[in-house]
Amino acid sequence: MAERRKPAGAQDKLAFLLALVPYLIDRDRVSVAEAARHFGVPEAQIRDAVTLIAVSGIPGETHQYQPDDLFDIAWDALEERDEIVLTHLVAIDDSPRFSAREAAALIAGLQYLSSLPENANREAISSLQAKLSRGSSASPTRVAVGATDVDETVTLISTAITSGRQLEFDYVGADGESERRSVDPLRVESLDADWYLRAFCHLRAAVRTFRIDRISHPIVTNEAITFTTDDVTLPDTLFDGSSATIVVTIDVTPSAAPLLAEYLPEAVGSASTGTLVQGMTRVTMRVPHYHGLKRLIAGMAGTARVVAPEDAKRAVADWAAAGAARYSAERLR
Amino acid sequence: MASSSGAPRVPVEERLFSLVLALLATETGLTKAEILSTVQGYRQKYTMSGDNSNLERQFERDKDDIRELGVPLEAIAPLGEEGNNHNLRYRIPRGQYELPDDITFTPEEATLLNLAAMVWREGSVSAESRRALLKLRALGAGGGEPVLAYAPRLRARDDAFDPLRTALDKRVLVEFSYLKPGETMATARRVAPLALVQHQGRWHLYTHEPASDFHKTFLLRRIVSAVKITTVPHTADELDYSAIALGELDELWVANTATVRVQPGSDAATRLLKRRGTSADGDDLAVHYTDLNILADELAGFGPEAVVLAPAELRTAVHARLETVVNDHG
Repeated sequence: MAERRKPAGAQDKLAFLLALVPYLIDRDRVSVAEAARHFGVPEAQIRDAVTLIAVSGIPGETHQYQPDDLFDIAWDALEERDEIVLTHLVAIDDSPRFSAREAAALIAGLQYLSSLPENANREAISSLQAKLSRGSSASPTRVAVGATDVDETVTLISTAITSGRQLEFDYVGADGESERRSVDPLRVESLDADWYLRAFCHLRAAVRTFRIDRISHPIVTNEAITFTTDDVTLPDTLFDGSSATIVVTIDVTPSAAPLLAEYLPEAVGSASTGTLVQGMTRVTMRVPHYHGLKRLIAGMAGTARVVAPEDAKRAVADWAAAGAARYSAERLR
Repeated sequence: MASSSGAPRVPVEERLFSLVLALLATETGLTKAEILSTVQGYRQKYTMSGDNSNLERQFERDKDDIRELGVPLEAIAPLGEEGNNHNLRYRIPRGQYELPDDITFTPEEATLLNLAAMVWREGSVSAESRRALLKLRALGAGGGEPVLAYAPRLRARDDAFDPLRTALDKRVLVEFSYLKPGETMATARRVAPLALVQHQGRWHLYTHEPASDFHKTFLLRRIVSAVKITTVPHTADELDYSAIALGELDELWVANTATVRVQPGSDAATRLLKRRGTSADGDDLAVHYTDLNILADELAGFGPEAVVLAPAELRTAVHARLETVVNDHG
């Protein structure tokens, strides 16, 4: 498919035209502003699309695209009041069906959402799935998502958010120290099977991201929250790299390189900028502490190796050696 | 002069839109010659008595682009002339193009579907969910209030994901090399793809292998070659393979239990205890798993915080990993 030449966006523009026409048919008169809001696009895009629709049609009996073969709009309404009124229709009456892949994408998304306590209503979800299947032009591609481990902490967080109260829990931070945190919960986020809480942390006086499976002994307090999502900006990335100041050099097999960035999210640096040394990609990244690094590298035996600095290598070696020692010390029962 | 440079340039989307309109409007279908000579965007470049092969290739690409959007563009051979590709007639049957009238979505359903689409933030699936939302908007369904408290995200980063999805849609066999953990050489596989499922955060391919007549499940991250999409169709029954695949992975997960002794209060203790299905007997946790090697990697990461008591194979696997890490950092 890579060899295919097609102007980027023509296909998307077609999809937009095929969606816009039935929307306009259902409304006798709609302002450009309202349509733009409905579709979440700039007003100029609506005007361009309507202008194109107005001169489009079918070849017709004469094969000459006679006026009766074309859509038409009330031009004065568009030009004077920025309103769209279709005055003549051709060929299209209704919304298009979903494609097999579009339906599959939504179905898999729904399955994933059903992990959330709010969406535990399986019946509503499966009736929606059935509608999507029936509304697609071919049977949906078989792509599915299994239930993920969302524990009761999420329910508690959700209660705290809706009641506007602070949450308190024990948490082991990037430095390995466990502390009791009081936070204003802002949002629950996830990446596949991993769930995170983004919150304003009163201990750190800043927005922080917490792994939900690392939260212990959570309670909803009676304290009102001081910040909501309206008061603070949540950065797009889950982790803020400003505390990452230690530069480490790591050799990693090319196939495992993306794992580094993924599982050491506090780190800053790009694995793709690495150079190849003896079949391994050499990357440098900044980490806030060795606490996370040693765990990551110990979990990537044979595929990743810290080469510098010395104390980072030692931190990893000590961690793994302490683990290995338990196998010599502890007998099988 | 009659050269094409003199003709007004018709934007691609106008040509595609005009083609869809023309094919929706015809009951009996249009031949390729009729399309190229009369439809807006083609007719400007058509020469009555000359070579139209460039235009024909453009038509082939346009058909693919239109079909990719889920538009059921069909080619029918005249009765008695099946197999003759020359007189094919093209059309878009209205009944298969239009969403059935009885399919409507309540505002609550629209909100849920919006959230479902937003789950995909990257890659080709994300583009497809955006298009699905566009069609939902065509029905008049509003955006609904965004659910601010949640931002769940699914990803499909394995290179194999997109080609496998294409093969699923085409119902053809695929070939790839697969590296089993503990083996140094990847082996070539030829299978019928039946479903792609994400289980415990990892993408799996459920297949039927014609050579052995077995159903086999592969982890996408262990596919080490490019996926070759063959032209060989397969004839698997129409079963709900997604559910079968997830069911089998869950069964495996229930059947496999590791006993892991954790340091109280450690990261290992907190996280392993929070896993679905984990039970505790003091500091000894019974942890379920689907793949021994993946669990071994995870447990090795916990260093001294966790030690495997059983099964012996897992114990050996984790111990060996830790020794490798020590040696690599000496």
